[in-house]
Amino acid sequence: MITLTNLSKIFRTELIETHALREVNLQVNEGEFAALTGPSGSGKSTLLNILGTLESFDSGDYLLDGKSVKGLSDAALSKLRNEKIGFIFQSFNLIKDFSIYDNIELPLRYRGLKASARKQRIEQALELVGLHARRDYLPGQLSGGQQQRVAIARAIAGQPRILLADEPTGNLDSLMARQVMELLEQINQQGCTILMVTHDPDQARRAGRNIQIIDGQLHDATMYDPLAAQSA
Amino acid sequence: MEQFIYYLKVSFKGIKRAPLPYALTIFILSVGLGVFFANATFYYQLNSDPLPHKSDKLFFPMALMAPYECNDCKPPSVLSYSNIEKLSQTDIASKAAAMYSADGYLRQSAEQAPLPVSIRITQRDFFSMFDVPILHGSIWPDNSARAEVILTKASAEKLFGRADVVGEKLLLDDRHVTVSAVLDSWQMLPRLYDANNRNHLGDADDIYLPLESGYDMNYLSNSQSQTFDDTDYRQLSTQGRSGAMHQLQYWVQLDTPAQQQAYRQFMHNLVQDEKAAGRHPSEPNNQLVAMRDIVHYFGGESSDIKAFALVTLLFLLVCLFNASHLSLNRYLSNQYEFSLRRALGASRAQLQLQMLADVLLMALFTILGALLTGYAGIKLMNQLLPSNRLFSSWDMPLLLSLLAIAFACSYLVTLYPSLRASFGSLNQQLKE
Ligand SMILES: Nc1ncnc2c1ncn2[C@@H]1O[C@H](COP(=O)(O)OP(=O)(O)O)[C@@H](O)[C@H]1O
Ligand SMILES: [Mg+2]
Repeated sequence: MITLTNLSKIFRTELIETHALREVNLQVNEGEFAALTGPSGSGKSTLLNILGTLESFDSGDYLLDGKSVKGLSDAALSKLRNEKIGFIFQSFNLIKDFSIYDNIELPLRYRGLKASARKQRIEQALELVGLHARRDYLPGQLSGGQQQRVAIARAIAGQPRILLADEPTGNLDSLMARQVMELLEQINQQGCTILMVTHDPDQARRAGRNIQIIDGQLHDATMYDPLAAQSA
Repeated sequence: MEQFIYYLKVSFKGIKRAPLPYALTIFILSVGLGVFFANATFYYQLNSDPLPHKSDKLFFPMALMAPYECNDCKPPSVLSYSNIEKLSQTDIASKAAAMYSADGYLRQSAEQAPLPVSIRITQRDFFSMFDVPILHGSIWPDNSARAEVILTKASAEKLFGRADVVGEKLLLDDRHVTVSAVLDSWQMLPRLYDANNRNHLGDADDIYLPLESGYDMNYLSNSQSQTFDDTDYRQLSTQGRSGAMHQLQYWVQLDTPAQQQAYRQFMHNLVQDEKAAGRHPSEPNNQLVAMRDIVHYFGGESSDIKAFALVTLLFLLVCLFNASHLSLNRYLSNQYEFSLRRALGASRAQLQLQMLADVLLMALFTILGALLTGYAGIKLMNQLLPSNRLFSSWDMPLLLSLLAIAFACSYLVTLYPSLRASFGSLNQQLKE
């Protein structure tokens, strides 16, 4: 469902050009759970942001469900983001003075759902992450693991087909990280495609597929590259 | 609608996060706008046209007709009785009225304490020329002397406790007069017919008396008079009509350009005749000034207000600048939230609706603050410049444009900062 061909991204500032992604080719199929690993600064977040259409790219192409996202209007991109993609961030990015319920409601608001439809989806999501009883709490009243579960509930409330998670367990201790991981696996089993950036080798192993980025270039452990094998 | 209420709620949350900077922003905007409002009110009212449909048809004619050599002289800004006799020897003008004002005392009977009044001594066309509404009775049928006065509604009520007093007798400086009409409440602001005496910012007069009776009763002008001989004009009734006593204002109504041209020609011929008769040795200098231009002609523009206008405009700009700066800081500290909303699927259009809610709230607070400050500013100005006190009221068009300005300022102060915040790099923002 995701196809990147020769995609490159360069960040230009007055002083330097950073080649964040170089000629990236990637195919992700429906239902996959892919782990993205690589050293810091190698371009993982940039790749995730491009997949989430939050960031543009300089060359190459990105097909989502067979359609190129190039040249889509802001409204079309927003709609696509809103309906097909869920984001989870390392630092949760919950709005601190919104209740758990209101935080989860955000993407549904922008979709223009009726109050009753919103309520039903929020309750479902809360049920899934096991925080139904905390719906009126503020994020600050929850533990880090709980906050990340709220963020996951927010990401899946709109029933997206792709979940993009940027180091979702980076700020959590191992117990909480395990819970979050289990939750993501559960979501994946229900059919949602997941791309997750992680530094944890255990987590990477648990994912069905391992993609490594080094210096903006992809090394896909599950994809056999005959040229690379020859030269090795 | 439900969605918009949601946007308003979100705006409120944003305010609650940093109430102090927000309050300061509102305060700065309110003060800047309030001071501007107060001054704009005076500026607008003082420069308003009280008779927009005919201020280009009413003219103040002045002719230099003096029996002595005077080069580069302006014609005097008041006219003599004989000037007016000459200027009215034509039927070109549709209407014409000479006038001046004097002080007097009015009472119902000799036992009563007299009431000081300001008298406009004028001719019958005055009332139709300046659209003065009549409540009771009728205006004098011609311009001859008659012991009849016309009262304003206010002075009728002051004297009799009621307005319908046509036919009642009064003592005007102990001479018997009868009330022939009562005017309805009326205010011409500014009273441009008095601009040559620079009295156009003051209140209208209390009672009206025919011009001929005013001369018969020896009323001298209480504002401006000029003469170039040494006649004793206290005996106005015998000396005033023939001598060089200049104290009159004269207004003519010339409806068409053809009439105006004809009247100019008439004035030109008149002065040429005077020259030929040896009564006027100087170069002619005739003026026919439209009511629209009269304040400017006599240099009666309020220079304080003009200077204030500039200062308050600059002050407003400084306030706007400061307020946007504060507002920018507020938005930048919330910048990650814009990025987050984008990531969750908000389009720019949806973010702009959120900004619009922010603008509406800010406009609401700012308008309230600015109206309060503006009101206080006007009260203060009335203390400092009491002569402008009649020009401090808000009418609908003024109020609406003031509100529009306040809204525009709130928009400016909110728009730039929020746009900047919403175009931040998403990648950087969400990482913290
Ligand atoms: N907005 C940006 N402007 C300039 N350079 C950027 C920007 N975002 C990322 N980069 C650079 O691009 C490279 C890849 O960044 P990133 O994708 O965040 O790495 P990772 O997530 O793998 O740590 C880094 O060198 C980073 O400095
Ligand atoms: Mg990163």
